[in-house]
Amino acid sequence: MDEKKDIYFKIYRYNPEVDQKPFYDDFKISVERGVTILRAINYIKDHVDSSLSYRFYCQAGICGSCAMRVNGVSKLACTTQVWDELENCKEKDMITIEPLNNFEIIRDMIVDYKPVINKLEKYISWVTPKIKQADLGKKENIISEAEFKVIDAATDCILCAACFSECSMMSANKEYISPLALLKAFRMVKDSRDTRSDERMAVLNQDHGMWDCTHCYRCVEACVKNIPIMDAIQGVRNEAFIRKQNGTEGYKHANAFAQDIRKTGRLKEATIAIRTKGIFGAAGMLPFAIRMTLRGRMPSMFVKTIPGIKHVRNIFRKIK
Amino acid sequence: MKPYDIIIVGAGGAGMYAAMEALQTNPGLNIAVVSKVYPTRSHTSAAQGGVNAALANRHKDDTVELHIFDTIKGSDYLADQDAATLLCEMAPYVVREMENLGAPFSRLEDGTIAQRPFGGAQKYRCCYCADRTGHTLLQTLFEQCMRKGVKFFSEYYLLSIEHDGKTAQGIVVMNMQTGKIEAMPAKTVIIATGGYAKMYWQKSSNAAGSTGDGIAAALRAGLALEDMEFVQFHPTGLRKSGLLISEGARGEGGYLVNNKGERFMSRYAPEKMELGPRDLVSRSIEIEINEGRGFDSDAGQYMHLDLRHLGGALIKERLPQIRQLAIDFEGVDPIDEPIPIRPTAHYSMGGIDADINGATAIPGIYAAGECSCISVHGANRLGGNSLLEVLVFGKQAGHHAAVTASSLNPGAISTASVEKIQKEIEGYSHHDRTERYSDLREDLGKTLGANAGIYRTRKKLEKGVADIMEIKERFKKVHVKDASAVFNTNLFQVFELKNMIHLAETVARGALAREESRGSHSREDFPTRDDKKWHKHSIFHMNEAGEVIVSDKPVTMGKHELQERTY
Repeated sequence: MDEKKDIYFKIYRYNPEVDQKPFYDDFKISVERGVTILRAINYIKDHVDSSLSYRFYCQAGICGSCAMRVNGVSKLACTTQVWDELENCKEKDMITIEPLNNFEIIRDMIVDYKPVINKLEKYISWVTPKIKQADLGKKENIISEAEFKVIDAATDCILCAACFSECSMMSANKEYISPLALLKAFRMVKDSRDTRSDERMAVLNQDHGMWDCTHCYRCVEACVKNIPIMDAIQGVRNEAFIRKQNGTEGYKHANAFAQDIRKTGRLKEATIAIRTKGIFGAAGMLPFAIRMTLRGRMPSMFVKTIPGIKHVRNIFRKIK
Repeated sequence: MKPYDIIIVGAGGAGMYAAMEALQTNPGLNIAVVSKVYPTRSHTSAAQGGVNAALANRHKDDTVELHIFDTIKGSDYLADQDAATLLCEMAPYVVREMENLGAPFSRLEDGTIAQRPFGGAQKYRCCYCADRTGHTLLQTLFEQCMRKGVKFFSEYYLLSIEHDGKTAQGIVVMNMQTGKIEAMPAKTVIIATGGYAKMYWQKSSNAAGSTGDGIAAALRAGLALEDMEFVQFHPTGLRKSGLLISEGARGEGGYLVNNKGERFMSRYAPEKMELGPRDLVSRSIEIEINEGRGFDSDAGQYMHLDLRHLGGALIKERLPQIRQLAIDFEGVDPIDEPIPIRPTAHYSMGGIDADINGATAIPGIYAAGECSCISVHGANRLGGNSLLEVLVFGKQAGHHAAVTASSLNPGAISTASVEKIQKEIEGYSHHDRTERYSDLREDLGKTLGANAGIYRTRKKLEKGVADIMEIKERFKKVHVKDASAVFNTNLFQVFELKNMIHLAETVARGALAREESRGSHSREDFPTRDDKKWHKHSIFHMNEAGEVIVSDKPVTMGKHELQERTY
């Protein structure tokens, strides 16, 4: 017989109909090696507490329904092994199950998924084909396997929203585009069959769009399909440079960074805001700058050139 | 409330294609798509291998005619030949349309859509997106529905299909988030709710929700079901979970090996070997196991699917999802070790009796996809023909519902039907009820697997029917403990169980009645096909008393005469 272990599950509970605020329930069950988190909580639902609420569907890691936080990290319950999670427990053999972050809770682990759909709609997350409606289905586009390689990983996305839950920008600002919508945008922008990339790029360039990502890489770490989401985010930003969309704050911000590094090897942080937002745009940040100065936190206006600047400039030349 | 022109139940491949096509036919229509899950969760996403279309990109001599023949032969001559013909004729069109709309099909060197061999096909005909074809098609369809502004009602559960005997009236649903029961009036209703193979539970590759909701609702609404006894067992489910390893693995050259190290398919399909049709390969594995040539484990006897000779590079490039499944659910990396597999209930050929336009006997009610029986798969579906079916007949149903809607003027859904449903649901929470949902579900899965599985006999099936009738009785005492109105998953599970029980009865009664072996239906006591007595479709109705009545109807033939089916 397979080896078994007593394992505690500390599970988030909240039903707005009856609970004033969320709480945790503890369940102890015996689990053998090879059992997934989903099978374990299904056992609890079937045998201990039938009111335990969560979504699941395919049970094979392809539909994305059962994303939840296991020991604090967003992942799919159906592809996560219970015994593997024992290494991540804060208290010995006690696995914590919680809903995804950055969503409204409907009940227990069930979150309101609508914001995901709204963001996909806002950023035109579909191909608008060149081919006229009447000519659809008549012939296939000739596309090289190499072109598809670029978007191949992005088309793996199952919209499970683990990245949405882990994203640090998302927790700061619910208006933010989100990693999964950025990934979808990249996949569409790089698809030669699509005709609305200009419009999409314009929306991506707006506030809360592609320039707001802070490169914390938590989306990449959380992705259940191991998609290099950051490459896609850099990919759409790069697209702005390729398309010379140089009017936007994001573009100017990135450009100011590059100029500083090329010039001195260091950031001239004191003027970054002015160079990004312009004099009038940065004026709004004046109270913040005054507070910084009063506390002695304002970076210097004078920046020393680093010793190895030659090498830095060489790198820039090579990239060009 | 003004009725919708079209309500589509189910947001998988067939439902979303129907929505897209209906708006194409008439952009002014008021359409709603109702689904118990968000659209991209639908089980279409799990289809791995691909979609058949005679594009002749890989084998220049492939033709639609050959595809038609393969489909009819694969069906063991039970497919309706007009339906199979339409399926294959429209295949190149729908595959190219999906490509035009953004589906990232894998490519050949000349930039055309790549094709690979698949079970039961004479040519390389299966178009694919790596091993996640269903996932990418579902995403593409959802993207296009967003583009067209399709109105989705996600997380609404279908409770009944309403009609007055002359035309459709709409549906009754539960808003899963609030628990509110709502009547949704409609001129036309397209049922696209998927298959019923989850009733085998422990021995099924299907999503938890593949419980035949739309089919069971149709049965209760007095519509006819067809060929319910035909359930396909996929040869290569993972040993522990029953999850599927796609036929793509064998398409790319994987071997099936027994405990003697033999590629045993040489005994059963010497020409096609591992790429014999699914029913044949599943039966072959069952025979090998019964004759003592299987591997032993706690989870039961199994076989090896060996991919090692294909090499790590090919496995990583063409079968990445399969590799991940084997690692996640069996702890086996197919680059280094063979994958432990056993047959698993996978696909339901039967469903709502519908014609090639998706129309049922009640004007305004349509069915498309796995929930329908049109019938293109007959007694056995070929790999790569299910995604094709959802596209072609989703399109057909969407188009014809759109054309028909303006001519229909339905009466209102009666408040009595809504009240009846309300009362039934309230009853589930009575304290004198003692039966536990999960016990009934397990018992149903067990008896189906043991008595209506790959090999069937009269004795086993009689036991199966008796067990199901007992479970049906016990269901009257099933208890929903969760009393909340908010997203009561306990209640939804009980709805699903009721649907599975009703459909299990049709499967077992159909299998008991059909005294022959054809396609996926193998009777040990009637081991050969009997065209004289049984070359006909089974038809199922539910009478007023809730009993299932079995009858039959003829198969639509065409130019392909009955032949013996060998591979």
